[in-house]
Amino acid sequence: MKPSELKRLIIGSLDENADPQLAARTLEEEGVSFDFSKGFIDKVIDRVASGADTVSREIEFSRSMRIAFNRIALTGVAAIVLLLISIFLGEGSFSLNSFLGLGDTYDEGIICLLTGN
Amino acid sequence: MKGSYRQAEESELVRASIEGDKLAFGEIVERYRKMVARTVKGMLGDSVFAEDIGQEVFIKLYHSLADFRGEAKLSTYIQKIAINLTLNEIKRRKRFFSTFSQKGNNEMYEFEVPDYDSEEKRDASELVNKALMRLDPKFRIIVAMRMLQGYSTKETAEILDLPIGTVLSRLSRAQEQLKVILKKL
Repeated sequence: MKPSELKRLIIGSLDENADPQLAARTLEEEGVSFDFSKGFIDKVIDRVASGADTVSREIEFSRSMRIAFNRIALTGVAAIVLLLISIFLGEGSFSLNSFLGLGDTYDEGIICLLTGN
Repeated sequence: MKGSYRQAEESELVRASIEGDKLAFGEIVERYRKMVARTVKGMLGDSVFAEDIGQEVFIKLYHSLADFRGEAKLSTYIQKIAINLTLNEIKRRKRFFSTFSQKGNNEMYEFEVPDYDSEEKRDASELVNKALMRLDPKFRIIVAMRMLQGYSTKETAEILDLPIGTVLSRLSRAQEQLKVILKKL
C-alpha cells in the first residue's frame, strides 16, 4: 500500500460511520502489528510466581513481628514495673513524688555549673 | 483438564488462575497478549518500557482476578487495566521530562522498529507509530482503540468510561489533528 493510501486509511478509520474492524484488519495486513518480544509469557509467569512468594513472605514477616512485639511489650512493661518498685523501695518511701520519680534533693554540682555561683 | 487449557472457557481459566494454576493464567496471557500490546505500544511507542508496562498489566490482572465478577468481558477488564497503567506511565514521563529536560514531548517516546520482511511493511509501521506519538495522549487512546483494536464507538465509550458524545467529539478532533500530522510525514 502506498503511503498516501495508508494515510487515507488512517484518517478514514476515524469517520463516525467507518467500519473500525476493517481498518484494524487492513493495517495488520500491511504490517502494522503490535506484539511483545519472545518469552513474554514466561517473564510474566516468573514475575507472578516471585511476586506471590514475596507477598506470602511479607505476610509471614508481619505475623512474626506482631508475635515478637507482643512478647517484647509484655516483658518491657513487667521490667518497668519492677524497676519502679525497686526505686521506691530504694528511696524508702511510696510518696507521690517518688512515685512520679521526683526527689527533694538537688545536685549542687549541676546548679553551680548552670548558674556559675 | 490441567495442562490443556487451549480450548478452555474464559470463566474456567479465571477460576483456575485464582486457585494459583500458572498454566491457566499463561493461557490468559497468550490470548490477550496482542490486544494489550496494541494498546500499550500504540500509546507508548515500541520500546522496552512498553514491554515492562505490558508485564505490569498481566501481573496486576493476576492479583485482581479474585475481584473480577464476570459482569463485563474479561477483555474489557484487561483493557481497562492496560489503559490505566499506560496513562499513569505517560503522566509519570511527562512529569519527569518537564522537570529534567528542556526538549519537547516527542523525546518521551522511543522506537525500536522490529524486523520486517519487507521495506513497505516497515514504512507502514513507522508511519503509524510516528503519527500516533505526535497525537495528544487523550486523542491517542481513542485512536488506538478505534484504529488498532477495531472497537466501535460504543465499545470505546464503555472501556474508557466516557459518554458516546465525548468519544465522537474526540474522534473528530483526533481526525483533524491527524490530518495535519500526516501531511508533514
